[in-house]
Amino acid sequence: MTKKHIEARFLLNWPGFSLDIDLTLPGRGVSALFGQSGSGKTTLLRCLAGLERAGEGFLSFKGEIWQNGKTWLPPHRRPIGYVFQEASLFPHLTVLNNLQYGQKRIPTARQSDFDPIIDLFGIGHLLDRKPDRLSGGERQRVGIARALAVNPRLLLMDEPLSALDSARKQEILPYLEKLRDRLDIPIVYVSHSPDEVARLADYLVAMDNGKVFAHGPLKETLARIDLPIRLGEETGIVLDAVVAERDAQWHLAKLDFPGGSLWTRDKGIALDRRVRVRVLARDISLARDNREHSSIQNVLPGQVKAIADDEHPGLVLVSVKVGPSVLVARLTKRAAHRLDIEPGQSVWLQIKSVALME
Amino acid sequence: MILSAGDLQAVILTLELALVVTAILFVAGTPIAWWLARTKSRWKGPVGAVVALPLVLPPSVLGFYLLLAMGPNGPVGHLTNALGVDPLPFTFEGLVLASVFYSLPFMVQPLQNAFEAIGDRPLEAAATLRASPLNAFFTVALPLALPGFLTAGVLTFAHTVGEFGVVLMIGGNIPGITRVASVQIYDHVEALEYGEAHSLAAVMLIFSFLVLLTVYAWRPGAKKA
Amino acid sequence: MKTIQTLLLIVCCLAASLAHAEKIVIAAASDLKFALDEIAAEFRQIRPDDTIEIVYGSSGKFFTQIQQDAPYDLYFSADIAFPEKLAKAGFAASEVKPYAVGRIVLWSAQMDASKLTLKNLTDSSITRIAIANPKHAPYGKRAEEALRSTGIWAAVETKLVYGENIAHTAQFVQTGNAQIGIIALSLALNPELAKLGDHYLIPDTLHEPLAQGYIITKRAADNILAERFAAYVDSKPAREVMTRYGFTLPAKDR
Repeated sequence: MTKKHIEARFLLNWPGFSLDIDLTLPGRGVSALFGQSGSGKTTLLRCLAGLERAGEGFLSFKGEIWQNGKTWLPPHRRPIGYVFQEASLFPHLTVLNNLQYGQKRIPTARQSDFDPIIDLFGIGHLLDRKPDRLSGGERQRVGIARALAVNPRLLLMDEPLSALDSARKQEILPYLEKLRDRLDIPIVYVSHSPDEVARLADYLVAMDNGKVFAHGPLKETLARIDLPIRLGEETGIVLDAVVAERDAQWHLAKLDFPGGSLWTRDKGIALDRRVRVRVLARDISLARDNREHSSIQNVLPGQVKAIADDEHPGLVLVSVKVGPSVLVARLTKRAAHRLDIEPGQSVWLQIKSVALME
Repeated sequence: MILSAGDLQAVILTLELALVVTAILFVAGTPIAWWLARTKSRWKGPVGAVVALPLVLPPSVLGFYLLLAMGPNGPVGHLTNALGVDPLPFTFEGLVLASVFYSLPFMVQPLQNAFEAIGDRPLEAAATLRASPLNAFFTVALPLALPGFLTAGVLTFAHTVGEFGVVLMIGGNIPGITRVASVQIYDHVEALEYGEAHSLAAVMLIFSFLVLLTVYAWRPGAKKA
Repeated sequence: MKTIQTLLLIVCCLAASLAHAEKIVIAAASDLKFALDEIAAEFRQIRPDDTIEIVYGSSGKFFTQIQQDAPYDLYFSADIAFPEKLAKAGFAASEVKPYAVGRIVLWSAQMDASKLTLKNLTDSSITRIAIANPKHAPYGKRAEEALRSTGIWAAVETKLVYGENIAHTAQFVQTGNAQIGIIALSLALNPELAKLGDHYLIPDTLHEPLAQGYIITKRAADNILAERFAAYVDSKPAREVMTRYGFTLPAKDR
């Protein structure tokens, strides 16, 4: 087990802030450290990188001890790539020199041509520029490419999108998705954005006040309504689906997920492609019977799994099993009372909209 | 405007002194400034204050204490005696030592500011890119602090050229060894040789202006194209 | 009401006393430091209401400053040539009065200078000799003359270090940085320095006399206190102090 995982235990006490972590992260895929600002997610990431040294701590990466008692590997000896919130490029070096900075400091045996990285991030035309002549999005792309150029065995990303406006975010997100799909190294990704987490993460670590209060595979963890993960309007689940059918007449695509299928606007994604679908709790209504005459196209049968209070006292969250998948709906308490919702009850889910994330 | 041989000797001696002191302080002041900029130690305050002392101490006071310290009964005097070296007062080496101490804040403070302005981030980035702290210092901190080095060097050089009180106190006014331009000008004035004083002062003024002008015209931050 | 009346009374009394009290500032050569301090202290006991401030420094500097209307009422120079030039240029309100003739001595804090003469300065064990800067300090000029007329100037020139004034020169010797120095007798006789080492009086035949003179400056032309103090310097108690500090005094009756 330890050979494949990242095991981290940190105890850190600063004036006004403490970190108390005991966590095992999967050795592949994207683990999202999610929480409000001040929850300690960046500090945890910095402890993983060795930029912060917890007085008491233990860290092993796939069986290698990076920290244990007096043993402590300084950051420049850890096989990591680190992406900062702001790209933090060296202003006195060109883009190319920034990329080469780390690359020429790793053992020759691990050096690899970084042309593929340059291509992946579309920064080939920027190589001769100094960072002050790049846009925010370009800078962050170079920052990520620079972290990858050291051929890391662990990629750490500290809110790489938070300093960008939403247009720039949309510019970078596809690169990150490509990265996730192509890299077979673990990525630890700090974010406070539910949308980013839903799109990118495989594993979710929810943090608050320096502690982890929930962690697990993304789909299961999002579907757990007993956890106080405060997502508000963004509360919802993620499903893995396959494009099963494309209806040319109505420009719709049918997505099959374990337990059912959903129709959504056809975005031109090829048949049989695996996609990620996000369904927000506020977009699901529950009904006791299936009304045929409705504008809502996606109506699925399910069985109530659990009911839990939501953040607002007038609202409840209801998790509903659809085959092996679990979806979460948000209702008013009064509606839940009138519909007599209780665990085991059969219901119809009326899904107003789904977000398709390639 | 032609300088007498004595005046020329004083000017050359002054430049030598300023160059040597600036070179020594680049080497000695950089680690101090780096430490002051980055440490969280409780000694930061006391050390910073000691470095800044020459800014507030009157040169005559400083010179007098240095004279006592370097004298045969002072700690530095004991040291030079034990090493079998000549006592430092009235020697060029003594002037260098005194000037290094006296000009220390002019080197350390601009460097400290420059290092502090860089912040932690570029060095952390370097660390995550496999650069050891020393390596990161030379490849990241040093180039980024270059304008600070320039300012520190110019201030130190200029301050040493303009130094008077300390030199007067411990130099003994020996031609070619400790009689620097500022002392020479003072002697001219005291001896009522105003003409000579004017000439030498003008030479120093023009020289200093040209040095500063050159430095300010050449800004390393400016783009070449 | 009563307090205000009392206050008014105090203010009036103060104003009245101020009107009677006088103030002078004296510029004096460094060699007078101890002697003139004593004389002024005695004078203050006689006239406690008057204020006398003394500034010590190099005679040449004061000479320049007085030409620029520096606020000195009396000027005691270590070299009578300076006040003479000032008088010629119209900066004096009195004639130039010689008040003393200074003497120079060999003095050391490390060896017994009383057993030495100038000739001993060529000894190789002596590596640093402090004298005042001959370029502008009167005592330095006389020291150079004495060394030259002894015929050892060339031999000792490389050993010389130059003090800015005669007090600074004494400081070089006092701190041990120079093994020996040529300083003013008036300084060597001061208890503070005398306890560190004895001195050897350099014969005054070896150098020009250190004729010292003073003037009342133009700005103090109507200052009674300045005249009164000048007269006091010529009085018996003051002359005794000066003699005690090794100054040779001009004949009483001028």
